[in-house]
Amino acid sequence: MDKRKVEEYIFKVLMLGAVLIVIGSLVFILATILVKGLPTLSWEMITKTPQGGYYMGKGGGILNALLGSLLLGIGATILAAAVALPIVFYLNLYLRRRSRFALAVRFFLDVLWGIPSVVYGAFGFTLMIFFGLQASLLAGMITVALLVLPIMARGMDEVLKMVTFELQEASLALGATRLETAGKVIFRQAFPGILTAVLMAFGRGMSDAAAVLFTAGFTDSLPYSLFKPVATLPLAVFFQLGTPFPEVQSRGYAAALILTAIVFSLSILARLITRGMNKHVIK
Amino acid sequence: MASEVSQNHIRVRDLSVRYGSTRVLNNISIDIPDKKITAIIGPSGCGKTTLLKSFNRLIDLQEGVSVSGQVFVDDEDIYDPKTEITHLRKRMGLLSQRPQVLPMSIYENVVYGLRVHGEKSKEKLNAAVERYLKEAHMWHEVKDRLHTSAAKLSIGQQQRLCLARGLAVGPEVILGDEPTSALDPISAEQIEQRFLALKDKYTIVLVTHILRQARRLADYVVFLYLGNLIEHGPAEEVLNNPRYAKTKAYLEGRFIEEPEIEKELDLIKLTFPESLKALEKVFKELKVGQVLRIVSGEKNLQGLIRSPLVAQHTVLEIKKRDALTSEVIMQKNEGGYSI
Ligand SMILES: Nc1ncnc2c1ncn2[C@@H]1O[C@H](COP(=O)(O)OP(=O)(O)O)[C@@H](O)[C@H]1O
Ligand SMILES: [Mg+2]
Repeated sequence: MDKRKVEEYIFKVLMLGAVLIVIGSLVFILATILVKGLPTLSWEMITKTPQGGYYMGKGGGILNALLGSLLLGIGATILAAAVALPIVFYLNLYLRRRSRFALAVRFFLDVLWGIPSVVYGAFGFTLMIFFGLQASLLAGMITVALLVLPIMARGMDEVLKMVTFELQEASLALGATRLETAGKVIFRQAFPGILTAVLMAFGRGMSDAAAVLFTAGFTDSLPYSLFKPVATLPLAVFFQLGTPFPEVQSRGYAAALILTAIVFSLSILARLITRGMNKHVIK
Repeated sequence: MASEVSQNHIRVRDLSVRYGSTRVLNNISIDIPDKKITAIIGPSGCGKTTLLKSFNRLIDLQEGVSVSGQVFVDDEDIYDPKTEITHLRKRMGLLSQRPQVLPMSIYENVVYGLRVHGEKSKEKLNAAVERYLKEAHMWHEVKDRLHTSAAKLSIGQQQRLCLARGLAVGPEVILGDEPTSALDPISAEQIEQRFLALKDKYTIVLVTHILRQARRLADYVVFLYLGNLIEHGPAEEVLNNPRYAKTKAYLEGRFIEEPEIEKELDLIKLTFPESLKALEKVFKELKVGQVLRIVSGEKNLQGLIRSPLVAQHTVLEIKKRDALTSEVIMQKNEGGYSI
């Protein structure tokens, strides 16, 4: 065999190996939580709140954390979207392509993306102390919103970058303003992608533990006020796995299974939506 | 004369356009005749699109663009800061190289401009959809699927939809930037037919690099080369009997050569008796086949070209340097020069 064929062969093996690692770890993670969590997964878990002594093996469920995570995730996603949408439309429609400012904003978003979530948690905690607030649903929402903002904004940004300049021109040529063009044409064209970015951010937001540890707190009751602590799934997993009781640990895996199932269905949903919603989208 | 000129929808005066430091249009002055098809021709990269987009100020969107000179649309200087751009653009429909339908239904595409300009009456919108789809000759093809996605139409239908959409805002002018270049021959033919049918009602400016298309459609032809307006005039004249060497070369599909200037005379600083003497001297010295460049004030230009001194020479090109000065480039013919 000549040298180039050997090279080709080595690269093929390397690529195949990389793919196997990706698929393998996903399968391995899923298998672990399935094997360990499935036996204790029950209807009761997702319909009841923890009874007294739940963390020592007594009855009840984690409805508090399930609802708490959903509420917190939705709230944080809405807050983040309210900031991300204007940013990305400004970057892509109002600024020139090679504007220094746009470059700087993208750079900062990328840096924010890389900051670990525990730092967001600590930052949120500092703010809370400064304003004399206690851990609450609202504080958790705001912290998680900050955490997912860069993810959402950069996701939307990449989508908007794909919208052609000519489409923008077509709308402007009809006498539309930039704002009308942004809202009625560009938004529609980019909608499936924007929604995907939102769903991704939602999944990321509701599955983060470190950001909510100090800011949202934890409670056994169902969420009922923005200003009271709220339970979240990642922390429910964390606390249950932290107990010395095998049965409670198994429930922890079951909670992880629920969380994974939600995030998993979100990404499938995102895919279905991008396929279904783009009937008007121009390719 | 003056009143006739001011009736033209589009008048361009000394328009120069730069991208950063590169000049892509040089002192263009031209009147676009009303209710006719004007074809802008020239090799690619010569500034056709730039000129077209300067009419509705889409050029503003280009990075680093700077525009000097004036474009009058209905006697209003559109580069005046007071001009309402949305209002200006409403008066011109645009067809681009690739049809750009909006990401919505066929119906919504047609009424988009109307809605943007505040039309809310359902009846009026419905009526507009029918009327303009008919004008674009596609009503019968799509009347049963008005609410399906425009993206599903064939590319030729998309271009006609873009036409209907442009007509719906009630423009006086239709701008087309090589609107058939992405289409199959039959769709292209349909667009051409539309233009011919619409030219009684609209002033049409059509950028094309297809000479045969210009011959089929144009009443008036503008030839641009490297950002310079080389020649413009009625289609038969420019296409069949071009005045300048570069136009001729382009029409015959020959390589356009820049003449090598062998002598130069600057008349700007000279006054009457000296200037005539200088002219006579330089014409006498010029040998057959040699090329001379004369720099002259704008107001003396016509007199210079018509003067008997020039009779034995071919004017290759007249270039505007700025609003007040022009360059005349001429070549001495066989047979020599005699008074
Ligand atoms: N946005 C821009 N920035 C810099 N140069 C440009 C830009 N747009 C066009 N040009 C240049 O300007 C010249 C004229 O372009 P254009 O008007 O598109 O020519 P045409 O339509 O005749 O092909 C070309 O040389 C082109 O490279
Ligand atoms: Mg062009």
